[in-house]
Amino acid sequence: MTRRIAIKVNGSWYEGDVEPRLLLSDFIRDVAGLTGTHVGCEHGVCGACTVQLDGAPVRSCLLLSVQADGREVTTVEGLQNAGGALHVLQQAFRETHALQCGFCSPGFLMSLEPLLRADGPAELTDAAIREALSGNLCRCTGYQNIVAAVQLALARRRGAA
Amino acid sequence: MTKQATPTLAASLVGMSVLRVDDIPLLTGAGAYVGDVNRPGQVWARIVRSEIAHGRLLRVDVEAARRSAGVVGVFSGSDTPDVRIPLRLEWAATEATRAALQPPLARDRVRYVGEPVAVIVATSQYAAEDAAELVVVEIEELPPLVETRAAAENAHTVLHQTVGGNIVNRLVFGYGDAEAATRSAAVVIRERMDIHRHTGVPLETRGLVAEYEPESGRLTVWGPTKVKHFNRSALSGLLDIDEGRIRYVETDVGGGFGVRGEFYPEDFVIPWLAIRLERPVKWIEDRHEHFVATNHSREQSHDIELAVAEDGRFLALRDRNWIDLGAYVRTHGLTLPVSTALHMSGPYAWQALEIDSSAVMTNKTPSGTYRGPGIVEATFVRERLIDRAAAELGLDPAELRRRNMVPVEALPQRIELGHGVVRFLDSGDFPDAWDTFLEQAGYDDLCAERDAARVRGEHVGVGLAAYVEHGAVGPYEQARIVPEPGGHFAVSVGVSGVGQGVRTVLAQVAAQELGVPLEDVTVSHHDTDTIPGGFGAFASRGTVFGGSAIMLAARDLHKRAAAAAASQLGVPADEVTIEGARASAKGRSVPLLELGCAGEGRFEKATTEASFGASLALVALDPGTGKIDVRRFIVAYDVGRAVNPELVIGQLVGAAAQGIAGALMEELPFDETGQPLCTSFVDYLMPTAADLPYIDALILEYPALGNPLGARGAGEGGIDGTGGSIANAVADALGAAGVEVRALPLRPEDVKRLIRLAAGE
Repeated sequence: MTRRIAIKVNGSWYEGDVEPRLLLSDFIRDVAGLTGTHVGCEHGVCGACTVQLDGAPVRSCLLLSVQADGREVTTVEGLQNAGGALHVLQQAFRETHALQCGFCSPGFLMSLEPLLRADGPAELTDAAIREALSGNLCRCTGYQNIVAAVQLALARRRGAA
Repeated sequence: MTKQATPTLAASLVGMSVLRVDDIPLLTGAGAYVGDVNRPGQVWARIVRSEIAHGRLLRVDVEAARRSAGVVGVFSGSDTPDVRIPLRLEWAATEATRAALQPPLARDRVRYVGEPVAVIVATSQYAAEDAAELVVVEIEELPPLVETRAAAENAHTVLHQTVGGNIVNRLVFGYGDAEAATRSAAVVIRERMDIHRHTGVPLETRGLVAEYEPESGRLTVWGPTKVKHFNRSALSGLLDIDEGRIRYVETDVGGGFGVRGEFYPEDFVIPWLAIRLERPVKWIEDRHEHFVATNHSREQSHDIELAVAEDGRFLALRDRNWIDLGAYVRTHGLTLPVSTALHMSGPYAWQALEIDSSAVMTNKTPSGTYRGPGIVEATFVRERLIDRAAAELGLDPAELRRRNMVPVEALPQRIELGHGVVRFLDSGDFPDAWDTFLEQAGYDDLCAERDAARVRGEHVGVGLAAYVEHGAVGPYEQARIVPEPGGHFAVSVGVSGVGQGVRTVLAQVAAQELGVPLEDVTVSHHDTDTIPGGFGAFASRGTVFGGSAIMLAARDLHKRAAAAAASQLGVPADEVTIEGARASAKGRSVPLLELGCAGEGRFEKATTEASFGASLALVALDPGTGKIDVRRFIVAYDVGRAVNPELVIGQLVGAAAQGIAGALMEELPFDETGQPLCTSFVDYLMPTAADLPYIDALILEYPALGNPLGARGAGEGGIDGTGGSIANAVADALGAAGVEVRALPLRPEDVKRLIRLAAGE
């Protein structure tokens, strides 16, 4: 039994005849062919598969693709601006060595991106950033360079760095 | 202090924190991990695993699974060749250890929950998982052996019958007369110490893709990265295929930490299926499988004894230990007892050392190496006892350690511990490094801070650990450098990347040695077709061995280019100068590319590079909840020469974070029937950003003498002292009840019990 669905991913529509049980993460990876969304646990804890559904971060391993039918998904591949330049967060991650193996990075970026929007906070304490990060697991960095990356990105957005 | 690092050579690439060459693809979703590898016509494998810890395998009924939609094939142990997954390191191997090697699929017995019993191949991952549910496995249960020491003593229930018992390897290491030295001691501390089972848990699970081309007889395997040339040779032996027909391709890797990329049962099964079915086969481990199938580590029990003279001199260390290897001896299983013994002496001088080690089989997931294997464990048991001795002697724990460190005059020092294990200390200055660490960490101030907090009634403690890691293990590495069009250089080398940034570091070394900008160098280590040999990523060896081989290759290239240019330009070779991609003499020049030469380098070294390390923890205990708040954690580590200080700091901090969580949170417990109790991230407490303190890392640089780069390892040093320093800090916070800190982990319930004890309840 399959069902025909269409999901708009990073501005392009992808259609597929899918089993109702197909996870959104598998739709993104296998139907849309966007492999930047990583699957680390398939039970909603690690956050590596985080994408945005209609602008809000969600765990794509905890959603069925049929739940996203007709809706808009943004993945890490959609984070760069139209000219291909790195998003301020991606650039900050690079400069602060906020990634090692990089497997968790797309999930962190998609969880954190709302903080850098126009309506996001001007400043955050390290403790508040750690709280904001605590839904995503990173095994390589010990997190402190990710905290530094968020601080750098916030400062850049304020025009302070 | 965190970012402190003084490049040893100013204005040189080696010593500069350049940005990593691999980051942009990883940050934009363009990385290619094994899960992202897809081959035309590929099918998916799903492993059916034992749900019983110990039993006779009576029947595997695959008929219903075979009829399930999308299934291409179902195989059990009797369908596969009767082979065993080999040892990688023959160190300390015996007949008994070979008798305890694992078959790819269980044959007549199952010995742990998670042991592969059958494999399904189907057209999709979903179809394969559906069919796996239909396999009926009939097992006659046998008594499970769960507790390490009990298994060692059990003569009735034996995991591997031909071994005759559950100890597969008993080894005595040491030197001197430990008994006599102990008799002359003023203070002797004896204790039972235990370390719990936990492991690396990379964020990406394991995975493999294998493809066979029947026309050419070529087999390609994507996925395993740690020791790809060894894996190729192992697979060649098991499948009886010429090594030259097998190609291993490294992909991006979501963390290694010692557990990924070794030759596991699946590393035989998936390529074997690809040949048998003549279709590409893909297998991606799920997280539940990972917790039962990928190597566990760390579980050890010690009866340790420390003998100290009245003036604080260390006389002897005696240890009897039991190392839990789980149900089978895996490729790197025997490294655990050997490495524990090698690292037991730490940075200290001893009159005598005696370590009696038993490697024990139990009905649990097999063990292997996890970052700092044997080092974290040895450091914990030794450093706890040193604090106990300091208390008995009324000495400051920092001072007692300093008094006993091997002095610089005694270096180099080489001590045979038996069974081919050598404690080799080449250079450095341990007392100086220790003093530097204490000063930079602000030890005296932190002790004052602790004392002030105690006056306020808080349970605060400071704990130290000192250690030496014998890293950068050989035997050799080779590199090749070829000039390419546009002034570029292609560098190939046999190490492996596991996410640490080794390509960046090796590019820095190559560019500096070649005298060209970083952008003109491309380092490749990914493909066994282009790199004839290599030893991979373990024991913090990539920079030391890969970097040294590259330096030699660059020098070789320059030498050959000078000779070739000399004959082309009609001048003596010593008049040729090489700048970047051109050789010139007497105002004429020729591009290296046109000289048709390549540089080859092979760096060999039988001994390890010893790195000094130290860590300090300041903790506060909450008597109400039992929570341990790590307020400060500082680690210092001698890397000889930091090629990229920012990346070194990243390694030290990341390793320390893993170790702190390993001491306080992470655990892989089993119930009495051998059922694992943690098989998801809901049960296994991985640390989040909110659980970890800010970690200060200090790079020490005492150049190593044994390699042209002067480097020592960096990948593991941050984790080695975590358990020891945190346990010492908790003990310090408990006052007199601190003697009860004998085991890791230290969970909130343990702390609450200890605080009640301290209060005399």
